[in-house]
Amino acid sequence: MTPFEVGLIMTGVLLVLVLVGVRVAFAAAFVGLTGLIIIFSMRMGFERGVITALKMAGTVPHSKSVTYSLSVLPTFILIGFLAFYAGLTKQLFDAAKKWLGWMPGGMAVGTVFATAGFAAVSGASVATAAVFARVAIPEMLAVGYSKRLAAAVVAAGGTLASLIPPSAILVIYAILVEQSVGKLLIAGFIPGLYSALIYILIIVGMAAWRGDAPAIKGFTWSDRFASLPGTFPIFAVVAVIFVGLFGIDIGGYQFAATPTEAGALGAFVVLITAFFKGMRGRQLGQALHETAKLTVMIFTLIWGVLVYVRFLGFAGLPDAFRDFIVSLPHDPMLTMILILAAYAVLGMFIDAIGMLVLTLPVVYPAVMALNGGEAVSAADSTLGMSGEACSIWFGILVVKMAELCLITPPIGLNCFVVAGVRPDIPVQEVFRGCIPFFVADIITIGGLLAFPSIITWLPSMM
Amino acid sequence: AADVTWNVSVWGKRRAFTEHIEYLAEKVAEKTGGKFEIKIAYGEALSKSRENLDGISFGAFEMAQICASYHADKNPTLTVLELPFLGVEDLDAEVKVSEAVYQHPAVKKDLARWNAQVLMPSPMPQYNFIGNGDAPKSPKDFEGMRVRALGGIGNLMSAIGAVPTTVTASETYQAMESGTVRAASFAPHAHLAFKTVEVGTWWTANMNPGTVQCPVVVNTDAYNALPDDFRKALDETVPAAVDHYLATYAKVYDKWWPELEKRNIQQIKFSAEDLAALRAKAAPIYDQWIKDMDAKGIPGQELLDLVHSTLGN
Amino acid sequence: MMTPDRSDATAEAPRYIMFDGVLARIENGFNLIAAASIMILMLLAVVQIFGRTFLNQPIPGFIDITEQAMAVFTFMGIAYCQRVGGHIRMEILLGKLKGRALWIAEFFGVFIIFLVVCGLIYGSWFHFQRSWSIGDSTIDIGLPTWPSKLIVPVALTLLALRLLLQLYGYWRLIADPSRTPLSVPLIMDVEEAAQHEIEEAFGEDDEEVSR
Ligand code: NA
Ligand code: NA
Repeated sequence: MTPFEVGLIMTGVLLVLVLVGVRVAFAAAFVGLTGLIIIFSMRMGFERGVITALKMAGTVPHSKSVTYSLSVLPTFILIGFLAFYAGLTKQLFDAAKKWLGWMPGGMAVGTVFATAGFAAVSGASVATAAVFARVAIPEMLAVGYSKRLAAAVVAAGGTLASLIPPSAILVIYAILVEQSVGKLLIAGFIPGLYSALIYILIIVGMAAWRGDAPAIKGFTWSDRFASLPGTFPIFAVVAVIFVGLFGIDIGGYQFAATPTEAGALGAFVVLITAFFKGMRGRQLGQALHETAKLTVMIFTLIWGVLVYVRFLGFAGLPDAFRDFIVSLPHDPMLTMILILAAYAVLGMFIDAIGMLVLTLPVVYPAVMALNGGEAVSAADSTLGMSGEACSIWFGILVVKMAELCLITPPIGLNCFVVAGVRPDIPVQEVFRGCIPFFVADIITIGGLLAFPSIITWLPSMM
Repeated sequence: AADVTWNVSVWGKRRAFTEHIEYLAEKVAEKTGGKFEIKIAYGEALSKSRENLDGISFGAFEMAQICASYHADKNPTLTVLELPFLGVEDLDAEVKVSEAVYQHPAVKKDLARWNAQVLMPSPMPQYNFIGNGDAPKSPKDFEGMRVRALGGIGNLMSAIGAVPTTVTASETYQAMESGTVRAASFAPHAHLAFKTVEVGTWWTANMNPGTVQCPVVVNTDAYNALPDDFRKALDETVPAAVDHYLATYAKVYDKWWPELEKRNIQQIKFSAEDLAALRAKAAPIYDQWIKDMDAKGIPGQELLDLVHSTLGN
Repeated sequence: MMTPDRSDATAEAPRYIMFDGVLARIENGFNLIAAASIMILMLLAVVQIFGRTFLNQPIPGFIDITEQAMAVFTFMGIAYCQRVGGHIRMEILLGKLKGRALWIAEFFGVFIIFLVVCGLIYGSWFHFQRSWSIGDSTIDIGLPTWPSKLIVPVALTLLALRLLLQLYGYWRLIADPSRTPLSVPLIMDVEEAAQHEIEEAFGEDDEEVSR
């Protein structure tokens, strides 16, 4: 048996283990360790092979986790957990309602704005949907919106959280493919707004056509302006991240921050706000506890998969898959679309982070090679993007595919969450309401495919 | 198929810094009729760069490139070659002094703890600074300046009043652009790779503060287990591989000088007095280093004398 | 997580319950340390920004310090996370199983984890041991790396104990599926998972969010 064949077989074993419900991080580490044992045993005999494999695998958890660029993750996660206590949701929705309620479907449009705003502090799509289900749905129903639309707009709005910075999942992508964390974060911004814009167009169109989303009137300009200060922490977090990553001169002081520093400063701002809003020590403890739990889950997943990747390195599997993808006879763009479609299908069965860490080690090198290599210039590439631009573009698209799956059956978690918060709305109704938003997402993805600069322009300014 | 396959753990992409290994792999295969295969794995596929000595120690791969300063306590003896202002004029001198140090029993003993021995050097040029803002006219102008400089060079910069600020290599470009640091110390190829030339306005052409020491090491057991003709093929190819490396690295300068011209980067030359004053600042760093080595039972003074005498003749 | 009635099992497996309690306390402590370290990282980074920007005083070796400290929050909560079922998995097939078949599948899943964790304890111990006996230090300010490397085998050992407990927990259910599941994370269908997310989003204090 060649190392390559071992790589192929063990990858099959990994798929089976994940399918039968072994926790993904450990399934990957198990397969990686077993694969290393087989490969080293073939080289140096069983006994020495086992010991060498154990020692090799044993270096991975520490050396791969203890990496500065990954230290941004807990700060982003903390921002998300603290944001609930900072009372941001209610104030955001309130402001959005007062500014946008006047148009047909205005409350739904406001909800999209508010979820997008909240997404700016929370990387958690599902949690965003849960919170707004409680804040926004009752108000929409009160002015005569249909349950279907009210529920769907909340479920769909939640999916914006992973694109608009800060976003933990974009950090994970950046780390796995060794791309700049800062650039990926910045890259998500415009596609996030663009997604929101397409949602809004769909809502206004439907509201005008179906009439199930009446306009509300009666807010004065002073009402509107009075609603703005409550949204300050949102702008503060976005500003800290943007200004920090781009850098600015404040009266002779150079202010700039790494993603970790920006995340920490953002968390600090939200923490202070939350204390002003009456958060107590016990709740801070709870938020920190939850942050720690989610952090360790993500890190375990990362190093578990990297044990498997270390084994793939010895087996030479990514090289072979790359050669296979590049040798496909059809147009590279078609290959790209097929790969993205495969992600959409995969995303229906496994959550976004798990999907990324399991597939990227093999798929990403192939995608890069398809475009002509990591160092290719835009002029020499097959997709018309430099290697770096392609890597950023692909990252945003993959994350968008994963988000799309949050509103599709069978396990579109956002829809279940909304239905769970509202016992009066059956989940089928939410899924049905999401169909227009699914269409909107397809339009969005088509736009991102056709005009990559929507994604790549802003990070190219850095 | 090959009788013996060696895996080599290397970080980064294929570049001037790895060309001697490529050359070695090619020529050894030629000389042994393909029976001795040296397989190079780039991009930390086999191990993180910091852990290459660990992988060598338990035989996960047979050959690896390491940099002494990435983990000074793993290879304290090699750090003698990273002390500031040793007065290494060019890469030929760097090769000569490196090879002399590798032969010292203390160095051999140091690496033997990892079951490792040095095969050949990867000589690196001096880590001069690229910076932006007002160009320093003398080393005094570094006072209060935030700079990216690690290890021994970082110590030296502290000694002259600069503020060493840690920034990862890949973040250096952005850190310079945003003003987090004003200058960064790298070898020319790395200044090109990390794009500091795009944000810098000056370069310290003759400061020559020091460099890093990055040998290619092999697993001693694997080396000893090689059939005689394979080992001979390997050993005999090393000098040519180093020559090939020097020739390839020279081409970096073919890009370097025009790049400085094109971007209007001012080449700063400090006066002889300034350089002498800088060297005086390095003396306490040498003393401290020798003290540290003594504490570890390593003949530091002897190693430093060896460096000076090799460079002197 | 469901907290079923324990009375029948307390009689059947008292030591198991006690062991679970002791272990849970250690796990909570470890997770608390991890949580605190995240708070400290945040404050340290804020100090770093202000010090560097306004006082020209960056924290020397900030990256080295952060990296070595990261081992605390990347490993110390790992057993806690396993106890509460926080490590992600695919539950599509598992969710279709009932009774003994389910418990056998769960037992198998934990057993796989147990095997790999034992292997990694051995390997990470040697990783620590090399840095302790031969030496290793960080690139910038030369911090020793062994304390941080030691955290890995320690945290994984705690996880291995938790896994042993879960293996026993599933074993007693395989032996007699009519028993009450105890101290094992229970599978949630998608609606329960949604309910769980909702609880997580709102925390324990409802009025905080709706205010
Ligand atoms: Na976000
Ligand atoms: Na419902």
